[in-house]
Amino acid sequence: MRQIILLFSLLLVASLVLTACPGPPAPVDAPDTAADSARTDADAEKIIYIGGAVSETGKYAREGQDTRQGYGVWLDWVNNEYGGIKIANHRYKVELVMYDDEGDPDTTARLVERLINEDRVDFLLGPYSSTLTQSASAIAEKYGKIMIEGNGAAETLFERGFQNLFAVLTPAGNYTQSALQMLAAKGAKTVVIAYEDTAFPTSVAEGAQRWAAEYGLELLGVETYPKDVADVSGIISKFKRLEADVFIGGGHFNDAVLFIRAAKELDFNPKAMVITVGPSNPKLVAEVGVDAEYIIGPTQWEASMNYADEYFGSASDYAARYREMWDESPTYQAAESTATALALHLAIEEANSLDTDAVREALRNLDVVTFYGPIDFDETGKNASKPMGAIQIQGGEILVVAPGNAAVADLLYPAPAWKDR
Amino acid sequence: MIAKVRRLPRFFGAWVGLTLWLLLMLLLALYPYTGVSSLTLFVGSQVFVLVTLASNWNLIGGLTGYVDFGHAVFFGIGAYVMGILVTHLPLLISPEWSFWQALPISGVAAAVFALLIGLPTLRLKGPYFSIAMLGTFVVTREIVRVLRPLTGGGSGLSLPPILNRLGDYYLMLGVMGLVVAIIWWIHRSEFGQSLIAIREDEIGAEMRGINTTLHKIVAFMIAAFFTGIVGGFWAWQNTVIDPDVVFIEARTVEMVMMSMLGGLGTVWGPPLGAVIIYFLQDVVWGNLFGVHLLVLGVLLVLLALFLPEGILGALEDRSSTSIGRLLGRVTSRGRN
Repeated sequence: MRQIILLFSLLLVASLVLTACPGPPAPVDAPDTAADSARTDADAEKIIYIGGAVSETGKYAREGQDTRQGYGVWLDWVNNEYGGIKIANHRYKVELVMYDDEGDPDTTARLVERLINEDRVDFLLGPYSSTLTQSASAIAEKYGKIMIEGNGAAETLFERGFQNLFAVLTPAGNYTQSALQMLAAKGAKTVVIAYEDTAFPTSVAEGAQRWAAEYGLELLGVETYPKDVADVSGIISKFKRLEADVFIGGGHFNDAVLFIRAAKELDFNPKAMVITVGPSNPKLVAEVGVDAEYIIGPTQWEASMNYADEYFGSASDYAARYREMWDESPTYQAAESTATALALHLAIEEANSLDTDAVREALRNLDVVTFYGPIDFDETGKNASKPMGAIQIQGGEILVVAPGNAAVADLLYPAPAWKDR
Repeated sequence: MIAKVRRLPRFFGAWVGLTLWLLLMLLLALYPYTGVSSLTLFVGSQVFVLVTLASNWNLIGGLTGYVDFGHAVFFGIGAYVMGILVTHLPLLISPEWSFWQALPISGVAAAVFALLIGLPTLRLKGPYFSIAMLGTFVVTREIVRVLRPLTGGGSGLSLPPILNRLGDYYLMLGVMGLVVAIIWWIHRSEFGQSLIAIREDEIGAEMRGINTTLHKIVAFMIAAFFTGIVGGFWAWQNTVIDPDVVFIEARTVEMVMMSMLGGLGTVWGPPLGAVIIYFLQDVVWGNLFGVHLLVLGVLLVLLALFLPEGILGALEDRSSTSIGRLLGRVTSRGRN
C-alpha cells in the first residue's frame, strides 16, 4: 500500500511540475537547407518543388506504379520538352519529391507531414486510393497546402468542406451515369445492383440508384457483399428471379470475373451487364475469353477517346508517349495522374505565381479540355464537368461507346442470352 | 560453486527503474521546448502509441501468459467508439471537447468488452484462447461492417480534421508514461506475482488460493482499457476510419513482435522492442529500398532463432540463448 501511495504521489508531482511549466513553443518547422538555398539564390535555376507519397509497395503497389509513371510522364515532358513552368517571364524546372507510403495510413500521414514541413514542397500530388487520400488530404488541409489528386474518387472526400483538395477524375457517384443514360435510351426499363461494401463501390452504387431514378429506370433489387468475396452465385440466383433488364455490379477486378462466370453458369440473362471495375482492363478478356462479350464498364479514360490538348496532343498521342517511356500501355490511373499534374501546371501558369492562394483561385477558375477530358472544378474540388466514359467489349476489343463525342462504336443492346451466343 | 548474487541497495534497486522512467518522461516532456518540427512530434506520438500497445499486450500475453492474437479488437472498438460519438452525437462546446469526452469512453467501452469476452474465453487454455481471440477479432470486424447506420459500414466514418501534433505528442507521452508505470507497479505487486503464478502453473496457483479468474479478467480489462484509449486517439488523429484500416491483423502481429523482441513478461522489454522495430523499419526502408521487406523479414527470423526470449530475456539469463552463451563464454574466458 505504501508503495502505491508513493508511486501515485511521484506521478502527481511529475504531472504538477509539467503543468506548472509554460506551454512549449509551437513546433518549429525549419525549411530544408538544401531546398531553401536553391530557392533564395535568385540567379540560380528556379525550381518548383512538388511532393507526393504514392504506394510503391503494399496492397496498392500495382496501381501506385501506374500513378507514379503518370506523374513521371508529365515531369519528363515539362522539364525536357516544355522547358519548365512559366511564371512572370521565368521558366521554373520542377523537382518531384516522391516517397513510398506502403499502402499504410500511418506512413502516409508521416510522409505528407515530412513533405510539407521538412522538404517544404510548394504543392502536393495525391496518393493512390480513396482511403489514403482521406488521411493525406486532412494534413494538407491543416497546413493550407494544395493537394491535387487523380486517384481518390469516393464522394466522402469532397463532403468534408476542404478548401485545398482538388480531383481531376469523375467522382464515383457519376461512374454509371453515361451507361445508364444510354441504356435507358435504348429501351431498358429495370435495373438491379450488387456492390462490395467498401467506400468506393458504395459511392458508385448510390450514384447508380440516383441516375437510374433520373433516367426512369425501375430499381428491382440491391445487394451488398463483403470485400474479397469468393462466391456471388447467391446474389445472381436471386437476381435471376427478378428478370431485370440491366445488372450493375462490382467493386474489384476479381468480382467482375466472379459475376460473369456466375451469370453464365446460372443462365442469368440481363439485357446488359454493367460492371464497375474490370471491363476496361485488357486482363478481363484474357481471363474470361468470349464470355466478356457485350459487358459494359465505366472508364475514366481510354486511349481511343477523341479528347486532345496542345500539350500532350490527342489521347492516342499521349498513349504513344507513355508506351515509349514506360514500355507498356497507359491505364486510366496513369492518364489521370498525368492530367492531375497538368491541371496544377496550368493553374500555376494562370496564377502567374507560386502563392498558394493565387493558385487555389486559379484552380477554382480553371476550365480546360485536356487529352484526358474536360477539367473544371466545382466548389468542393470535384471535377464535375467530366462525363464518365463507358466501354463495351466487342469482338474482344475494348471500345468506347459513351459519351457521344468520344465514342468509337455503337452500344450493342440487348445482349443475346448465354445459350444463343 | 554458487554464483555470487550482486544486489543493489534494496530501496534503490526496487525504484531505480521507475525513477529512470520518470526521468525519461521528463526529458521527453521538455524536448519540444528545444524547438522541434511537427514531423518529429508526429513521429514521437507514433512511437509512444507503439510502446503503449506493446506494453498492454505484454500484460496479458507476456505476464499472464495468455497469448492474445486478437488484441487489435480493443484498438478497433476504441477507434469506433470515438468515431461514432464524434460523428453521431451533438458536439459539446467544440469538436476538440467532444474528443476529450469521447476518449475515456473509448477506453471504458474496450474494457467492458474485455469483461464480456474474457469471461468465456479466459477459461480456455493455451492455443484455444489465442484462436478464440482471433475469432472475436474477425467477428467484431464483420459486425462493424453490418451495423451500417452506426458505423458507416464498409465506407467508414470521417472525423473532423483537427490535427494538433503538439497536443498529440503530450497526450500519448502521458498515456505511455502512465501505462508503463502501471505495468512496473503490477510487476512487483502481489497482483503481478499472482499473474506470473497463473502463467507458470494455473492449477497450482488456484490451489494456493489465488482467484485466477478475477486476476485474469482484471489484467485483461486493464490491457483493453488502454488499447481502447490508443484506438480512440488513432481514429481522431487519422481523421478517417473504416473496417479495413482499423481492424487489421498486422496491428496484433506488431504488438506480439515488439513484445517478443524486447522480452516477454518484462517491464522494459516491450517498450524497447517497440522503439527498435519502429526505427529499424524506418532505417531499413530509407536505406535499403526495394529489398526492405526482405531484409526486415530475415532480421526477424534471425531474432527469433537467436534471441527467442527477447533482448532483455537474453541479458537476464545468458544460458538461454546462443548469443547469450557466446557472450558468457567470452566474458568467463577473461576471468579464468
